[in-house]
Amino acid sequence: MKPPPFAYAAPATLDEAVGLLTEHAEAEPRVLAGGQSLIPLMNFRLAKPGYLVDLRNVAGLSGIRREGDVLVIGAMTTLSQLERSPEVAVAAPLLAEAVGQVAHAPVRNRGTIGGSLAHADPAADLPAVALAAGAELVAAGPAGSRRIPAAEFFRGPFSTALAPEEILTEIRLPLSSGGHAYVKFSRIHANFAVVGVAALTELDDDRIRRASLAVAGVAPTAIRATAAEQVLTGTLAADVAATAAEAARAGVAGLAPAGDLHASPETRLALARTYLRRGIELAVSRARNER
Amino acid sequence: MATDTRTISLTVNGQPVVAEVEPRRLLVDFLREDLGLVGAHIGCEHGVCGTCTVLLNGASTHSCITLAVQADGADISTVEGLADGGELHPLQDEFSAKQGLQCGYCTPGMLMRAREILTRNPDPSPAEVREAIASNLCRCTGYQFITEAVLAAAARMRATREVVP
Amino acid sequence: MTTADQATPGAPPVRDHSAKRRWVGQSIRRVEDPKFLLGRGGYIADRITPGTLHAAVLRSPHPHARVVGIETAEAKAAPGVHAVITGAEAAELCDPMPDFGPDPARHTWRCLAAEKVRYVGEGVAVVVADSRYLAEDALELIEVEYEPLPAVTDPERALADGSPLVHEALESNCAYERSFDFGDVERDFAEADVVVRDRLRWHRSGGQPLETVGAIAEYDPGTGSFTIDTNTLSFTSYLFMAAATLKVPVNKLDIRPVPAGGSFGSKLFANKPAMIAGMCARKTGRKVAYLEDRVDNISNCDHHGSDRVYDVELAMMRDGTMRGIKIDVIDDYGAYIQFGVGHHGNALAQVVGPYTIGSVRYRVRAALTNKNQQGAYRGFGSEVNNWMLEQMVDKAARELGLDPVAVRRMNFIREFPHFIPTGNVYDSGDYERVLDHALDLADYGHWRDEQRRLREQEGRYIGIGVITAQERSVFSATEFWFWFDEPGAPVTSTPESVSLKVDATGGITAVLYSCAFWGNSPETMVAQLVAEEFDCSPYDVSVVYHGSRDGLPATGPGGSRTTVMLAGAVEGAAGRIKEKARRAAAHLLEIGPDDLEWADGGFRVRGDPERKKSLGEIAIMLHLFKHSFPEDMESGLDASKVFDHPYTTMPSADRKDLGVFYPFVGHACHVPVVEVDIETGAVTFLHYAAVHDCGTLVNPRSLAGHIVGGTAQGIGTALYEEFVYDEDGQLLSSSFMDYLIPTAMEVPELTLGHVETPSPYTPHGIKGGGEGGRMMAPAAINAAVNDALAPLGVRLTELPMTPERILAALRAAGHAG
Repeated sequence: MKPPPFAYAAPATLDEAVGLLTEHAEAEPRVLAGGQSLIPLMNFRLAKPGYLVDLRNVAGLSGIRREGDVLVIGAMTTLSQLERSPEVAVAAPLLAEAVGQVAHAPVRNRGTIGGSLAHADPAADLPAVALAAGAELVAAGPAGSRRIPAAEFFRGPFSTALAPEEILTEIRLPLSSGGHAYVKFSRIHANFAVVGVAALTELDDDRIRRASLAVAGVAPTAIRATAAEQVLTGTLAADVAATAAEAARAGVAGLAPAGDLHASPETRLALARTYLRRGIELAVSRARNER
Repeated sequence: MATDTRTISLTVNGQPVVAEVEPRRLLVDFLREDLGLVGAHIGCEHGVCGTCTVLLNGASTHSCITLAVQADGADISTVEGLADGGELHPLQDEFSAKQGLQCGYCTPGMLMRAREILTRNPDPSPAEVREAIASNLCRCTGYQFITEAVLAAAARMRATREVVP
Repeated sequence: MTTADQATPGAPPVRDHSAKRRWVGQSIRRVEDPKFLLGRGGYIADRITPGTLHAAVLRSPHPHARVVGIETAEAKAAPGVHAVITGAEAAELCDPMPDFGPDPARHTWRCLAAEKVRYVGEGVAVVVADSRYLAEDALELIEVEYEPLPAVTDPERALADGSPLVHEALESNCAYERSFDFGDVERDFAEADVVVRDRLRWHRSGGQPLETVGAIAEYDPGTGSFTIDTNTLSFTSYLFMAAATLKVPVNKLDIRPVPAGGSFGSKLFANKPAMIAGMCARKTGRKVAYLEDRVDNISNCDHHGSDRVYDVELAMMRDGTMRGIKIDVIDDYGAYIQFGVGHHGNALAQVVGPYTIGSVRYRVRAALTNKNQQGAYRGFGSEVNNWMLEQMVDKAARELGLDPVAVRRMNFIREFPHFIPTGNVYDSGDYERVLDHALDLADYGHWRDEQRRLREQEGRYIGIGVITAQERSVFSATEFWFWFDEPGAPVTSTPESVSLKVDATGGITAVLYSCAFWGNSPETMVAQLVAEEFDCSPYDVSVVYHGSRDGLPATGPGGSRTTVMLAGAVEGAAGRIKEKARRAAAHLLEIGPDDLEWADGGFRVRGDPERKKSLGEIAIMLHLFKHSFPEDMESGLDASKVFDHPYTTMPSADRKDLGVFYPFVGHACHVPVVEVDIETGAVTFLHYAAVHDCGTLVNPRSLAGHIVGGTAQGIGTALYEEFVYDEDGQLLSSSFMDYLIPTAMEVPELTLGHVETPSPYTPHGIKGGGEGGRMMAPAAINAAVNDALAPLGVRLTELPMTPERILAALRAAGHAG
């Protein structure tokens, strides 16, 4: 399973990288970050980019910093770096919890947050986190830089709002307060999610002021479970045992996920209900504990 | 389709290496065929089984889904660099003592992964070892004697301060 | 159902195992280890030399199609390409593959498909190029015109009228059908109080070792000889069939075993890569390597496991006594059937388990479908029978309101040797002791209390499985042909050979003739056995593997035979060496040979121990000083033993008695404790105790490692692993993304115990045990899951028990997720 031939460059600047994507557009170029998703596809010869633009030498694309109420993460920051970052643990515990469940350490050592989000695998964990957290994705292109809300970023399986010449440079995560949970069901430990749920809940006294829930595995992309959020908002944390179940049911109503050899549509809906409920309960209990 | 080569400079088991590689050449093939370091094995070529695991800048890495050009400037450690002359590294010695290998195919990858695990967590619990080695498949042992071997090696490595809690 | 009360006809002499052992029984470090630890294992991919060409196979995307045409011109012109061979061309260059199936002329199997492809992944062409990269580039330039045909993937539909035919020449998709009766089935069923019925489905999984199959072949036109290094061997004595495939005389083919990164059966006689590499080597005049990649192997390995539908009836008395069993099994063999229904021979070897069931009806139908064919997977079909039988016993216990452990205990065979209705013998055992030890290690009473408490207090579903089952070892050749009243080749040889050479310094070299290393420690086994014979250190014994051409007859690993057969061969060769050494020592010491005794690595005069000659002293004399010995004594000190299967008897003409064909039968009890999450269908282990009895252990730690590893594979078969073909014949689990191999987080720590009831018939009382873990675990885990879900009225009868299947069963029983 050897990859097909491609032209390759490892430019030193972002402008050069964008320029190469533009210049070689007819070769169907791809950006190479950690390669943990792209190279397997190339080994299977399911992806055959004619040109690979490697971002490894582009300065300034990795790193974690605070900008007021926002955690700014460079797209080339590896998942291992995120896992070990004290800043992420404090400012984005939802991300920290999710990253630890993405594949295994060797994959996290090279895989990047930007690569994972730009790849947009429907079974991936981080798109759901980006949705729940209300992240902004910063993309650099020939016309300059723009910010894309997560809600507009994921278009379909392996398909995002990025134009072919655009490169993801930063992920901007609003700081969350309250409780968080990332829970997922996979068949084998740390495998891709059959379903995954990212949950953020904020409490006002004991009332749920805000809930942000995203689900992976029940649609062509990760989705916000807005119906579930509406059920939860305004309810008492003390009643979460009942409200979480109701919210979960609302959250999957009307969904028609595709089935595969791991789970039928009916099973995916059942798992999504279960994990929505568990995610909500865990996030709320953490929110209560923090008060 | 242009398939030019690139020059890469890296360190492998402490030795400097300069080579010309096709961009598509996988790191595992570069190590095995170009450098003759056949300890890293090929099991799946899609980053699941871990038989290709090497350390890249101290981090365990699936060399089957890494391009050799991505290792330019890196410091690579493979199983061939573990033993000290004729003396087995404690990890190798304990794998033998505990029978943590049967066919041996996953073993180099397990050893390198174990090296990283113990560097980061020198005094792991059995459960922590199991979770950490879940990245590497073994089809022969069922993981029990591997876990015992890693724990035994950890004790020895703490005693010699190769790893420091 | 009978215990021999007199000398058992055909049985070898009963041995005395009272001698103290020094090396056999020691958990020494394996002699094989250093090279693997250093990364110098010498696997097939490690042996590529510069200038070797690489092959890649183009595989069919269709499950069933006519190959209308193949265009290879563009591929042949691609950079670095030396040859492109289509299936049609291969059919000229090679004869069909070696095939032990029922009717190979009508379900012909070739190394590449010619007119028709019969499963997704079947090879249709091969490219030979300077590198694997370039070979795969050229594959993409080959254009194949297919005419798709309707595919059939369900074995029952394949057997029904009007199904698409996998092989038109066979005029049916039923490759074999026969019903056997052993004992008085009608009487036992007529007299039974209750007949327990069930339908059970076991889906195919497979060995999937981390190393795939590979071969490096060279053809020398000067000698007309092939030399092929490969990580497969076994059935060495049958490699003449591979020579026929390559159209060379047998004595012009040398197949040399190299260490393999695991097999679990899947490298047993896996000759296709060797044949393809050989064909390409002769065509190009160059050394050619064909190394399967993972997708090649999953789709095209020819070693998928059993794939069965069972309809079973178990005749019981109300008190729990088992009377008789009727088994109707359909086995989905895929598109070819290279080993015939040998997997059912493995079942028949121990079909009644450890119980005094008096009669058996066994109807087997082999269905052909558009899937990769079955081969060997640890257990070779006996593990499926274990699972089926234990499911029936648990169901019977539930229907009769009896304790499942008590039912097992009351039906245990207690006297040995014991002949089961099929005619095979169980040589020794103590099933009660194994069961008691397992229940004790499992803390069974505590877990029953926990089960109750956790269900009542926390609404959690814990289950405990208790299964008691057999692990047969060392098959006979009769198992290949007793399926037919008039077999074409009623072969009776399944030998293993060892040569021992004592050099002039007294150092010992052992030569093995087919026991390629697969993770099964043949070098350590032989070293310990030789050390036991000669009082040397096992680490001083040099063990080498010999190629097939000028080697002694051998069969190789399989059916857990290696250790027993090597023990017999070592014993035989050592005996011959000692006989010559005794005569030589007697001559040197000027005393009668009978006045000498073997002790401490040499011969000494009985009653005068200072008068002695060490093996080394004897050897150097024999090597260098011919004139010091009588005329009839040749120089040197070496001997070989071709050890034939020690206990085989012929089947009766009417096949109501299959004879003895798998005589050394071990036994085990597995007690897993699981929790089933009824919201997700996830199964986790809370505890797992396993006790095995495979007679005397040569290296207890090594055997324990095989039990844990085999159990891990059984966990895979029970919960995670399946080659999934959809209704259109597409292989959905075509990589490790979807074929799910358990990690360290899916396999619990096992609490292991062992019991040793030696075989009366084998050296040291050894029995084979390498397959045992996998022969027990699927049955045990299914039992535990069913025990957990019993309060909900749910019982799983299909493996693997995926979350999908568990949730579907819960939904069907009215428990919404």
